[in-house]
Amino acid sequence: MIFLKRTPLAWLNLIHDRWKFLTSLAGVGFAVLLMFLFTGFMNALYDSQLQLLERLNGDIIMVNRLKSNMFVPIAFARRRLDQVRAYAGVSDAYALYISEANWKNPITQRTRPVRVLAFNPADPVLPLPAVLQQRDRLQRLNTALIDTKARAELGPTTAGVITELAEREVRIVGTFTLGTDFASGNGNLIMSDQNFLRYFANRGPDEAQRSFATADVGLIKVAPGTAIEPLVAVLQQEIPNDVLILPRDGPDGFVQRERAYWEENTNIGFVFSLLTGMGFVVGIILVYQILYTDVADHWSEYATLKAMGYRNSFLFWVVIQEALILSTLGFIPGFLVGGLLYGVTGNITGLLFRMTLGRVVTLYVMTYIMCFISGAIAVRKVQAADPAEVFGL
Amino acid sequence: MSAATPTALAPAVAIRQLNYYFGRGDLRKQVLYDIDLHLPPGQIVIMTGPSGSGKTTLLTLIGALRSVQSGSLQVLGQEIAGLGKHKLVEVRRNIGFIFQAHNLFASLTACQNVEMAVELQGQFHSKRAQAVQMLEQVGLGDRVDYKPGSLSGGQKQRVAIARALVNSPRLILADEPTAALDKKSGRDVVTLMQHLVKEQDCTILMVTHDNRILDVADRIINLVDGSLESDENLETFVATHDPKALDRRMFIL
Ligand SMILES: Nc1ncnc2c1ncn2[C@@H]1O[C@H](COP(=O)(O)OP(=O)(O)OP(=O)(O)O)[C@@H](O)[C@H]1O
Ligand SMILES: [Mg+2]
Repeated sequence: MIFLKRTPLAWLNLIHDRWKFLTSLAGVGFAVLLMFLFTGFMNALYDSQLQLLERLNGDIIMVNRLKSNMFVPIAFARRRLDQVRAYAGVSDAYALYISEANWKNPITQRTRPVRVLAFNPADPVLPLPAVLQQRDRLQRLNTALIDTKARAELGPTTAGVITELAEREVRIVGTFTLGTDFASGNGNLIMSDQNFLRYFANRGPDEAQRSFATADVGLIKVAPGTAIEPLVAVLQQEIPNDVLILPRDGPDGFVQRERAYWEENTNIGFVFSLLTGMGFVVGIILVYQILYTDVADHWSEYATLKAMGYRNSFLFWVVIQEALILSTLGFIPGFLVGGLLYGVTGNITGLLFRMTLGRVVTLYVMTYIMCFISGAIAVRKVQAADPAEVFGL
Repeated sequence: MSAATPTALAPAVAIRQLNYYFGRGDLRKQVLYDIDLHLPPGQIVIMTGPSGSGKTTLLTLIGALRSVQSGSLQVLGQEIAGLGKHKLVEVRRNIGFIFQAHNLFASLTACQNVEMAVELQGQFHSKRAQAVQMLEQVGLGDRVDYKPGSLSGGQKQRVAIARALVNSPRLILADEPTAALDKKSGRDVVTLMQHLVKEQDCTILMVTHDNRILDVADRIINLVDGSLESDENLETFVATHDPKALDRRMFIL
């Protein structure tokens, strides 16, 4: 209550010079924006690795034990998936075939690697609405759907495109929306398992020969009311261990394993944390500069307050309030522009930029800590203000 | 009533054998020597002396802005030699300070600047009323919500005086309050202080080089090289000093 009745010195000092106040906020906003962009890239790189896996229609995932991440092109014997069908609680099991192939850009004629995802169109393997609607078209010879988020290098991503895939003609009969990741090359195509065989069963001596005897990812659907964890335990126990069987979700799940792989085996985290840290430090310096200037400009006024009988703790509080105001009001433009740039960069790169509440709160807390540290450094200057020295000034 | 206040009352300031040194070790330099000084309540005392003689140092000691090193210094009945920093801050709240510079926050209105002083006493409900009343007394009733940027030098100094007086302190310390003002505003400010002080019955210790305002003093003390050289009333001061520098007629004006 007393707080509300006091003269709002911190606020009035900050806004006294409107123009300076606005540039201060822009400065803080810029530091916030840097942090948003770098953490955004980091999260986008991780999140993008998982966007396919999160959409696969299986409660339990089966892959070759040697497939340590989605980048490794090792398939497993499909009969393992058929074995699983016999267990109580398993309602269905689907095979997903994956292969890399060269795509010829119909405009530039340059070839680029893409990832082909294939499955029986009758099975709901990747139940995106667009895929479900257009699965009849996949039955036709040499057809595929293309990801609208594929990189621009592939050329137009629209139905009707006719070009070459793995040196064989392909006709795009529709589109879907997924996004790219490290293993997807320049984008994803979806085709039927029958077409998949046409492209990849006899690809020349240097390439892997594909058949229905092997699959890349197995999706196991669990009957309603069946607990997933115990079933996974049984399957892990009884199915030969050349395959790895994991629940899709949860802390020990397949999705998390993939994320952990990229976290542990790339420098993404390190590099982007470093860059975020730099944004943080830039922010500290900026805010320190702002607060320090305020303190230096009002040095004799603050010293006069001390002479009048205000304590250091009061002046400390004034500077900390200024830091708080700057962090809160500077965060807003940083957040808004950050959100805008997430959308733009997401469109250009095909990566998944997600602004979740948790991430926004984390960055706000970081902004607050940033301003608090600056305030704590700047405040030492006010506390050092010797009231004896304003006499005779 | 002011000058005639019975000396039986506790003195506003009582100094005995006060010495003060700046620096340490080889650089240690004494600036105040064996100061003895009693200021009874209700007096306006002007302190003069050459530059560097220690006037400001003495003022800051009395104002509890520096710690006493040796000797005894009582302010408003309280011994402040040996007090900790925390206690010194409390002593300061009973003293009004007026500096050469007004030291007002440019971001606060005249009224808010004065209210900052009232808030120290915890009187949040009446702070505006008190500040406005004080500003009216210094003749700024029509400038209450102006910021210092749109006030003249003399008006700003009057706001600073309002800030120093609003809590009715029993001791006011002023260091060359008129130095930054022109002749007329300086005169106005001092007359105002004199007027208000007589009303509130408090003690003023004012350092000044400004001969034109010596006439408001009940007493003039002269500090030379850190020692109190003379301590006399206005009449003797004028009589014993160079008539060229101190034109008696000016005081009568
Ligand atoms: N913080 C300090 N550290 C060291 N010496 C100081 C300090 N402040 C003042 N002095 C010295 O103490 C002596 C007295 O200074 P003081 O400021 O009290 O003089 P003054 O009488 O107020 O002078 P003026 O009329 O010029 O304001 C001077 O010699 C000065 O150099
Ligand atoms: Mg001085």
